[in-house]
Amino acid sequence: MIKIFIKKEVNIYFRNLNYIFLPMIFFFLIISVFPLVLGPDKALLSKIIPGIIWITVILTTLLSSNNFFKDDYDNGIIETYLTCDISIELLLFIRILMCWLFTCFPIIFFIPLVSILFSMSFESTLTVFLTLIIGTPILISLGLFGSALTLGVAKNNILTPIIIVPFYIPVLIFSASAIESANSGLPYEMQIYILAALLALILPIMPYLLKYTLHISINS
Amino acid sequence: MNISKIANLRFFFINSRLLGFYLSFITLILFLFGIAWGLFIAPKDYLQGESYRIMYVHVPAAWLSLQVYIFMTIAAIISLIWKVKIMEIASIECAPIGAFFTLIALITGMIWGKPTWGTYWVWDARLTSELILLFIYIGILILYSSFEDKRQGSKVASILAIVGLINIPIIHYSVEWWNTLHQGPTVMKFDRPSVHSSMLIPLIYMFFVFNLYFITVLIKRIRLGICHREKNSKWFEDYIND
Repeated sequence: MIKIFIKKEVNIYFRNLNYIFLPMIFFFLIISVFPLVLGPDKALLSKIIPGIIWITVILTTLLSSNNFFKDDYDNGIIETYLTCDISIELLLFIRILMCWLFTCFPIIFFIPLVSILFSMSFESTLTVFLTLIIGTPILISLGLFGSALTLGVAKNNILTPIIIVPFYIPVLIFSASAIESANSGLPYEMQIYILAALLALILPIMPYLLKYTLHISINS
Repeated sequence: MNISKIANLRFFFINSRLLGFYLSFITLILFLFGIAWGLFIAPKDYLQGESYRIMYVHVPAAWLSLQVYIFMTIAAIISLIWKVKIMEIASIECAPIGAFFTLIALITGMIWGKPTWGTYWVWDARLTSELILLFIYIGILILYSSFEDKRQGSKVASILAIVGLINIPIIHYSVEWWNTLHQGPTVMKFDRPSVHSSMLIPLIYMFFVFNLYFITVLIKRIRLGICHREKNSKWFEDYIND
C-alpha cells in the first residue's frame, strides 16, 4: 500500500518536472533580486542573507501551496479517496513528505551555492541549512492545510497565503533567532530543539486535520 | 424552556428583537456612565497624568479581543460537533466583532504610546501578538466571505478558528521570547505591581460594559445572519408578511 502511494506521488512530480524546477528557479530569481535592490554591499548582504533566504523560501512555498490539492480536486480523485476504504491519512502523510522532498529539498540542496554567492560564514550556512531542514516541513504542512481550506473557492490565488502566513510566525521567529545566535557565536541548540518540537507536534496531527478539512471542503 | 428551543432559529429570531433593543439601550447608558467615571471621576495617575485615562477603553478592548476569540472557537467546536445552526452563525459573526475590538485596542494603544513611550509603535511582544491576532481574524473573515455557500464558508472558517486557537499561545510565547532576546535600549515596562482600587473598579466596570456591548452586537449580528441565510425559508416569509 505504502509503495503504491509513494510511487503515485513520485510519478506526479516526475511526469511534470515543472513542479520541481519552477520553485527552484523562482527561488534563485528572488534571491538575486535582493542585491540589485539593496546594493552590492558585501558586509550588509552577508549579514542579512539568512533572513533573505528565509523570506524567499516562504514565498516559494506559498506560491506552490495553491496547487497542492487543486489538480486532484479538479479531476475528482479526492472524492474517490474519501469514499474508498483506504487509509487516506497515510496518503496525506506521504503527500506532505513528497511535497517537501520535491519542492523544498531542491532549494535546501542549493544553500551551499547561495552561501558562496553571498560569502556567508560556515557557521551561518550550517544554521540556515539546519533550520530549513526542520522548518520547511512545517511550512509545507501548513501550506497543505491552507490549500485544503480554500478548495471550495473558485479564485483563491492570494487567499491561501493570507490565511497561512500568520501561522508561519513561530517557525520564522525561532529560525531567525537560531541564525542570529550562530552569527554572534552563541549556542543555538535550544531554538533548533523548539523547531523540532513544533515539527513533532504538527506532522502527526496534520494528516488527520487535512482529512477532516477535505471532508468538509468536498461536502459542498 | 430547553436549550434546543433557544437554538431554534425561528424562536431566536422572533424573541431576540425586543431583547436586542433593550440591551442596546442599557449598554449605551452604562457605557456613558463608565466613560464619565473613567474620564472625570477616577483619580489622576501620578506618573502618567491624564493620559492614562485611555486605559478605560484600551484594556477592556484588549481583553475582549481574546475573549471573543475564545468564544468564537467554542461556538465553532459546538457547531462542528453537534451541527447547531445558530452556533454556526454565532461563531462567524464573532469574527468581525473581535477584529473590531483588536483594532480598537491597537489604535488606542498607539495613541497611548505616544505620550508614554514617545513613539506610536514598537515591536513589543504584546503589540506584535495583538497585530497577529488581527491578521488571524482578517484571515477568518476573508476565508468566510470568499465562499458563495455561506454554510460551507462558516464550516471552513470554523476549522481555521479552532486551529488558530491552538496557534495563538504558540505565537504569543514565541513573540514574547523573540522580544526578550532582542531587548532594545528602550525598556518599555510600565507594569506596576498593582492598580489602586479607585482605578481598578472603573476598569472592571468598563470590562463588564464591553462584555454587554459584545453580547448586544452579537445578538444583532446573529439576527442579521439569520436574515441572510433563511431569507428563502417559509417561516421567515410568514414572519415578515405578518
